[in-house]
Amino acid sequence: MSESPERSASIGELVLSLRGISKNFGAVSALTDIDFDVHAGEVVALVGDNGAGKSTLVKILAGVHQPSSGTIDFRGRAVTLPDPRAALTLGIATVFQDLALCENLDVVANIFLGNELSPLRLDEVAMEMRAWTLLNELSARIPSVREAVASLSGGQRQTVAIARSLLLEPKLILLDEPTAALGVAQTAEVLNLIDRVRARGLGVVMISHNMEDVRAVADRIVVLRLGRNNGVFEPDASNQDLVSAITGASNNAVSRRAERLRMERDHSGNAQAGEQRP
Amino acid sequence: MTAEKSTSAPLALDRADARVKHEAGLSGAVRAFLDRVRSGDLGSLPVIVGLVVIWTVFTSLNPVFVSSSNLVNLLFDCSTVGVIALGIVCVLMVGEIDLSVGSISGFASAMVGTLWVNQGWPVALAIIAALAFGALIGSLYALLFNRLGMPSFVSTLAGLLAVLGMQLYILGSTGSINLPYGSALVDFGQLMVMPKWVSHTLAAIPGLALLISGLRTFARRRAANLSAPSVTGLILRVVIITVGLELIVAYLNQSRGIPWMFGLFVGLVVAMNYALTRTKWGRSMTAVGGNREAARRAGIKVRAIYLSAFALCSLFAALGGVLAAARLASASQQAGTGDVNLNAIAAAVIGGTSLFGGRGSAYSALLGIIVIQSIASGLTLLDLSSSLRYMITGAVLAIAVIVDSLARRSRASHGRA
Ligand SMILES: Nc1ncnc2c1ncn2[C@@H]1O[C@H](COP(=O)(O)OP(=O)(O)O)[C@@H](O)[C@H]1O
Ligand SMILES: [Mg+2]
Repeated sequence: MSESPERSASIGELVLSLRGISKNFGAVSALTDIDFDVHAGEVVALVGDNGAGKSTLVKILAGVHQPSSGTIDFRGRAVTLPDPRAALTLGIATVFQDLALCENLDVVANIFLGNELSPLRLDEVAMEMRAWTLLNELSARIPSVREAVASLSGGQRQTVAIARSLLLEPKLILLDEPTAALGVAQTAEVLNLIDRVRARGLGVVMISHNMEDVRAVADRIVVLRLGRNNGVFEPDASNQDLVSAITGASNNAVSRRAERLRMERDHSGNAQAGEQRP
Repeated sequence: MTAEKSTSAPLALDRADARVKHEAGLSGAVRAFLDRVRSGDLGSLPVIVGLVVIWTVFTSLNPVFVSSSNLVNLLFDCSTVGVIALGIVCVLMVGEIDLSVGSISGFASAMVGTLWVNQGWPVALAIIAALAFGALIGSLYALLFNRLGMPSFVSTLAGLLAVLGMQLYILGSTGSINLPYGSALVDFGQLMVMPKWVSHTLAAIPGLALLISGLRTFARRRAANLSAPSVTGLILRVVIITVGLELIVAYLNQSRGIPWMFGLFVGLVVAMNYALTRTKWGRSMTAVGGNREAARRAGIKVRAIYLSAFALCSLFAALGGVLAAARLASASQQAGTGDVNLNAIAAAVIGGTSLFGGRGSAYSALLGIIVIQSIASGLTLLDLSSSLRYMITGAVLAIAVIVDSLARRSRASHGRA
């Protein structure tokens, strides 16, 4: 991706601010009263156990789902996101957990889907060139961008999905488990990319189950548990703190701190168990 | 656009990955083609093979079959249902279906008959009204589909009956309306053929267009540091296409020549092919047919795409009905009934457009309808009844769907969509 000369937002400015977001699927409350902030030039890691509501939150921000209640402020303005198009237009790009690629289209067509160059006479050469530039930045190992996505491996598809999110020079990037299917080198490449994107003043939200990855890039770690906020941590917070917030070993900050101190005194061996969690 | 050239890269941008075999030159192109076929990416290969078989059989049974006068008649007959099949390609692309195209074509012909002959409207106005009605019906299906989630299978089945009822209603008292012989519309459907020089000129255009666009793409890809296909292969294709088309035209010109109506049909096919492959709209159609939710998340207005597909389909159906009325010089209660519906759908599928959405081509309407009309014409020449024609066409359709399903399964196991 090219270094845009003008910074899209000054670092530290509030890009996204959610207040009191709830989402019900019928009787299931996937999210309850969520507050969530992202600043420009900041990587926020969103962690939580399976079913905690991380993907639901990302889908609300991508315009896929509409919140049952709550407000969304984007770059200082209250916004509604009635459909994915609205989110994309505002500058919110998303890499979905299920990637959302069209298997019958080739890589170039997928990257440019919805944003084709010269709509009445598709400029395939320019699109292919840009696609290679984006993919090379991710050190992608894609054999041919003219093959249908169906012929790609999981990791290659993930790279294509990430490349697509970068195409539109967004203000905020949401990555739902972006490294889940990637090998070691590619994961490092994606984490590098997140660093670069942050340096350009974009806000980044990354969901991951890998605490090492999270610590490597995150400026803040937001924990969701059973659809509720369950604490905000610095990246240097202890693993045990994080794990207990994620699994709900304790339910509020005070008891958590007390418990932690007690645990540290009593059985320091417990920390090992926490570290081993993937 | 960032045109940062990768510094000191001797390889083309898309040839940097050493693990991938890249076939070079002509033999490479042939081998790549065979690989594609083997993995189930058949394209129009089955229909071309089928056509060769059908033509060989019918010619051996009755040599009149390949006479140029019979083929010219074949082209006249192809054009009406072919235009309807072109509409079917549109709905199949987005993974939907329209079962009412026969009824819509019948109603459109009834409308032209009533408005033009009985009410005295100018013929052009009557045709425009019929086409507008067609587009309206399709928009209604799209509305039911988009807003109420009504499956197109059901809504168009209802439409099949309702529109047929409307056709019978407006033809009511007379039952059938004869269109005046000697009028431009009937001449267009029965007589008008291209002068020889026009058909020969038109036959040269595809090759020329291919050559120019191929050379332009070649130059642009080279300038962009992308690999480019071989020029020899391009020129070979241009020569084959041009010589082939000119020979066909010369042969048909021995009899009456190429019908203007067929010219209109082919023109529409070429236009639709361009729209489906070279425009953002066509890309969106393919995407919606392949993965609707992914298309929506990419910001595509999925509902508008469905609307365009349904409206185009019934618009083409109405146009096919008008052409059929011109061909028969009448608008009757039988118009659009019987096998019209299924022939149109069969043509699109036989030609290689997938019933499962997201795969297909405008050319499948052309190839498919030639197959179906060849069977019809061959059996008529053999003096066989329509009962046999139905059975054989049904069998061919079944084979086409089997090929489609098998190819789809093979593509899945070979990692091609
Ligand atoms: N479309 C949906 N319909 C009904 N329930 C859903 C839907 N999407 C998510 N849920 C429910 O919402 C909860 C949160 O899911 P999700 O956001 O996917 O969790 P996570 O991504 O954190 O693993 C789960 O209980 C899930 O069953
Ligand atoms: Mg999830």
